[in-house]
Amino acid sequence: MASIAARRLAKELKEIHAEGCPVGINLLKADDFETWWFSIEVMGESLYKNEAYTLQFRFDAQYPISSPAVQFVVTDGHQAPIHPHVYSNGHICASILGNEWSPVLSVTAVCVTLQSMLASCKKKERPVDNDRYVRHAPDNPKKTQFHYDDDT
Amino acid sequence: MKITVKHWHAVAQWRWDTGNSDPDDADGEGDVCGICRVPFEGCCPSCKMPGDDCPLIWGECTHVFHLHCLLKWLGTVASKQQCPMDRRTWVTAERRVGEASAPGPAADS
Repeated sequence: MASIAARRLAKELKEIHAEGCPVGINLLKADDFETWWFSIEVMGESLYKNEAYTLQFRFDAQYPISSPAVQFVVTDGHQAPIHPHVYSNGHICASILGNEWSPVLSVTAVCVTLQSMLASCKKKERPVDNDRYVRHAPDNPKKTQFHYDDDT
Repeated sequence: MKITVKHWHAVAQWRWDTGNSDPDDADGEGDVCGICRVPFEGCCPSCKMPGDDCPLIWGECTHVFHLHCLLKWLGTVASKQQCPMDRRTWVTAERRVGEASAPGPAADS
């Protein structure tokens, strides 16, 4: 992997180890600069109270110029939260992971954004096109051209 | 008493004048480039030597980055030519020689 991504990720990891993750977010595994896992929980009152989910980040050599591929883990007994923007295969329709990505965002910033996406959810339901999407979804959610239809 | 200076040793430090950096910065690290997170006084990850060969670039929005980092971003379709900080269309600010000691672009109207 090009050193640019590795150096930036090394800095982020050092910061996580030194200062810890934001409340409700925990680093599960980051043994290399290709795939990291975090647990994510919504604090306080929400539809996801006492539920913990696992987020997977995959980085390419162009990170942070190119966005990380972020999804919920749905293997080994893990499930994706039931949310209008989260598909049952773990893929997430969130603009900051796609056309609103910025290289000044960080791994923890993405975690916090997804945490608040869950926190603000009013009704636990899958996206309307879940079955159709999941049937044909690529392995990497970055290959999907999501259509962002609201700002929640 | 008469003193003769036989030898002296000068020590200097340089910093980019980013217009908002406080020389007595609390963390002593100065500002970092938001893209690579390396201090402005260091070089971007593609360079080996800091300084004139790895300069900074100022936007009219007052945001500052390593030139090389920003060009990498603007070179992508995904950037939509926007500043990574505020998503406004990136316009490089003019910086004229002589302004170096002025408060910086933030003070311009």
